[in-house]
Amino acid sequence: MRVDPTYITNLVNSLDQTQANEQQLSSELSSGVSITSLSQNPVGAGENVLLMNQIQQDDSFTQSASTVGGQLQVADSTLGDVVTQLTQAISLATSANNGTMNASDVQSIGSQIAGILNEVQSLANTSYQGQFIFAGGGTGVAPFSTSNATSPAVTSYNGGETVNDLVLPNGQKIQLNVPGDQLFLAGGTNSVFGALNALVADYASGTVNTQQAVSDTEALSSALNYVSQQRVTIDNSITQLNAASSATTNEQTQLTAAQTTLMQADIPTVSTQLSLAETQQTALEDVIAQLESVSNSLFSKLQAG
Amino acid sequence: MGTINSAMSLIGGALDADQDALSVVANNVANANTAGYTDEKPDWQENAPITVGGIQIGDGVTETGATSQRDRVLEERLDQQQQIAAASSARLASLNNIQALLTPDSGSSSATAGDIGSDITNFFDAFSSLESDPTDNALREQVLSSASTLAGDISSAANSLNGQSAALSQNATGIASQVNSLTGAIAQLNLEIESTSPDADAGTLEDERQQDLSQLSQLIGINQVATENNGLSITTTSGQLLVSEGESFQLTTGTVDGATDFFLGGTDITSQLASGGGQLGGYLTARDQDIPSALNSLNQIAYYISTQVNTDNNAGVDAEGNTGAPVAGSITGAWTLDIFSPPPTYAANLASDGTDTSGAAAAMTVVMTDPNQIAAASAGNGTGDNSNAVTMAGIANQAIVDEQTPVNFYSNFVSTLGSMVSEVQAENTAQNASVTQLQTQNNALSSVNLNDEAAAMSTLETSYQAASQVFTLLNTLMASALNLGEETTVS
Repeated sequence: MRVDPTYITNLVNSLDQTQANEQQLSSELSSGVSITSLSQNPVGAGENVLLMNQIQQDDSFTQSASTVGGQLQVADSTLGDVVTQLTQAISLATSANNGTMNASDVQSIGSQIAGILNEVQSLANTSYQGQFIFAGGGTGVAPFSTSNATSPAVTSYNGGETVNDLVLPNGQKIQLNVPGDQLFLAGGTNSVFGALNALVADYASGTVNTQQAVSDTEALSSALNYVSQQRVTIDNSITQLNAASSATTNEQTQLTAAQTTLMQADIPTVSTQLSLAETQQTALEDVIAQLESVSNSLFSKLQAG
Repeated sequence: MGTINSAMSLIGGALDADQDALSVVANNVANANTAGYTDEKPDWQENAPITVGGIQIGDGVTETGATSQRDRVLEERLDQQQQIAAASSARLASLNNIQALLTPDSGSSSATAGDIGSDITNFFDAFSSLESDPTDNALREQVLSSASTLAGDISSAANSLNGQSAALSQNATGIASQVNSLTGAIAQLNLEIESTSPDADAGTLEDERQQDLSQLSQLIGINQVATENNGLSITTTSGQLLVSEGESFQLTTGTVDGATDFFLGGTDITSQLASGGGQLGGYLTARDQDIPSALNSLNQIAYYISTQVNTDNNAGVDAEGNTGAPVAGSITGAWTLDIFSPPPTYAANLASDGTDTSGAAAAMTVVMTDPNQIAAASAGNGTGDNSNAVTMAGIANQAIVDEQTPVNFYSNFVSTLGSMVSEVQAENTAQNASVTQLQTQNNALSSVNLNDEAAAMSTLETSYQAASQVFTLLNTLMASALNLGEETTVS
C-alpha cells in the first residue's frame, strides 16, 4: 500500500497543537485563572457572573451597614440623653408639686425645666453628617422650633413623615429612622414638648396650681415611657443590622470561596497536564528526528551501493 | 521467421521506451515538491506481434506517455470538506474576537471588577449604598460614575462588534475578487483542456485546474459538474452558475440597507453564500448571524436598563426638590432627570410596542452631569427620603430584560455565546481532522514518493542495461553472419 510521503507535515501539525496546548496551560499557571475565555467553560462563565453579582452586593451592603450603623447609634444615644433629661425634669416637677416650696423656688424650678426643654429640643434637632436625624424626609432643615407667643409656649414640627428603609441583599428591610413628631409630639399625654411647655407655664408665676401641675407631670411621665418605647424600634434596627452584617460577611466568605474554586486554576492538575504536554512534545520531536535520519530515501542507499 | 535485423530494431525500441520512462521518473523527482503536481506513471504498450510464415513473433514495446495518478471522487470529496472546514475556521476566528470582548471577570471584589456583568451589579449597588444616606454627595457621585462605567463598557463592546462587522464585510469583498480571478482562470483552463485533451487526462493542465479548485474551495462553497470534452462547470452550493465550461460569471458587491451584499448576475445571493461554506460563508455567517445576535443581547440590556432607570428617576424627587419633566422641543423622548441618554428608537417606540432595541447599546451614554439630579426621594416626600433609591436599586431584581433580571440575562447571554463558540471549536477540530485524513488519502495516491521513484529508476536502469547487453550480443551475432566465418572482415 502506498503511504502519504508527506507524513512529517502531519507530525509537525501535531507538534503545533501540543505547543498551543502548552501555551494555554502556561497562561493558566501564570494568571492563576482557569477560565480565560467564555468557550473554555460556558456554564462556569455564566455562573461566575451570578456569583460576582452576589459577592458585590454583599460587599456593597457591608459598606452601607457601617454608615447606617453610625447613624443608628447616634439616634439611640440621643434618645438616651433625652430620657435622662426627662427623668430629671420629672423629679424637679415632683418636688415643686409637693407644696413646700416658696414662689421663688418654684420659679427657679420653672426656669430649670425651661432649660431642659431647650436641651431636649436641641437633642431632637440632632444632625448626623449634616442631616437632621429626627426630621423624616426633611433632613435639610432643623425639624423642631418653639414659639413663645402663647402661654404655654408651642413647639412645632417642620420635618417629614417618611420612614427610610435599608434593603438587605436578601430583600429584608431595616428601618433607619423614626420621624421626630412620632417621638416628641405624639398625641394626647404622649407629647414630650406639650408636657414640658405646660410645666414651664405652670411654674412661671411662682404660684402652683397643684392639680394642673400634677396632671402635667403625669403627662411628662407618660411621654417619657412613650419615648423609651419608640427607642426600642431604633435598638431593634441596630440588632438587625449587626445580625445582617455578620450573616452577609459569612455569605460573602462562602461565595468568594465558591468563586475561587470555580475560576482559579487548579495548580497541581494544570502542572501535571503541562508536564504531560511537554513529554508529548519531546516524543514528537524525537520521532521527527528519527524519521528525518531514516527517510533519506532509497536514493541515498542506491548512491551508497 | 524473425531476423537479426528485426531483433535489433525490437531491442532498440525497448531502449527508447526505457529512456522515455526514465524521463517520466526524472520529471516526478523534479516536481516532488511542486504544489499541485500529480505523480505520473509511464504508460507501456506491447507492440502488435508480426506473423511471418504462420508464426507469431513479438514486436517489442512502446512507451506511449504518462498518466497522472488522480482520483476525481477523492479530490472532489477533499474540496467539499475543505469548504466546510474553511467556513467554520473563518467563523471561529470572528467568534473568538467576539468572546474576547466579554472575558470573564476573575476578581472577587468590586475593586477589580471589569466585565459588563460586574458593571451592572455595581451600578445598582450604588443605588443600594445611596439608601443608607440619600443626601450624601459622594454616594450620588458613585451612582453617576458607575453609570458611566456601565454605559462606556456596553457602548465600547457594541462599537467593537460594529467594527468587526465592517471588517468582515471588507474581508468578504476581498474574497469575492479572489473568487472572480480563480473562476476566470478555471474557465480559461477549461478551454485549453477541451482543445488539447478532450477525451483523456490533461496532465499538468488538469493539475493546474485542480489546484485552482482547491483554492476556490477554501474561499467559497461550490459544486462541480463534469461536462463533455473534459470540461467543468462550477456552481455555488445553492446552484448559481460561476463557471460554465469556457465562460465565468463575476460576483459583484453592492450596499443594501447599509451592509455589503453579494450579487451574481443581478441576484442577491448573500444569504445563500452565508450557508454555502468556504471562508466567505464563514465570514458572512459571523457578520449576519453571530454579531447581530450578540449585539441584540447588548442592545436589550442597554435599552431596558436605560429606559427603566430613566423612568424611575424622572418619577422621583432630586436633591433640589425637582421632579422629571419632558425636555421642551425634544424629539427623542428626553426628560429632565434622565441619567442615560434615551435609546435612539425610544421616541418611535413610545407610539409602538417599545421592543425595537436596535442601536441602544452603541448609543448608551450618561447624560446626567449633576449628581444632585439623582432622585433618591419619592414624589411628595422630603429630599431626605430614600424610597426612590430603594425602587431603583430594586430594578436589579426586576425581570426587565426579556423576562429576566439584567444580571441573569447577561449571565445567560455569556453562557450561550460561550457554548456556541465551544460548539464551533469542536466542529472545526473534527472538520480539520477529516480534511487531514482526506489529504493523507489523496497524497498517498497522488503525491510523488521518492522511494517509489528510486525503485522505478533502479528497475528501469536494470532493464536498460539488459536491453543494451542484448543489443551488444545481437551486434556480435550480426558481425559473425556478415563475415561468414572470417572473423576479421567486420568487427
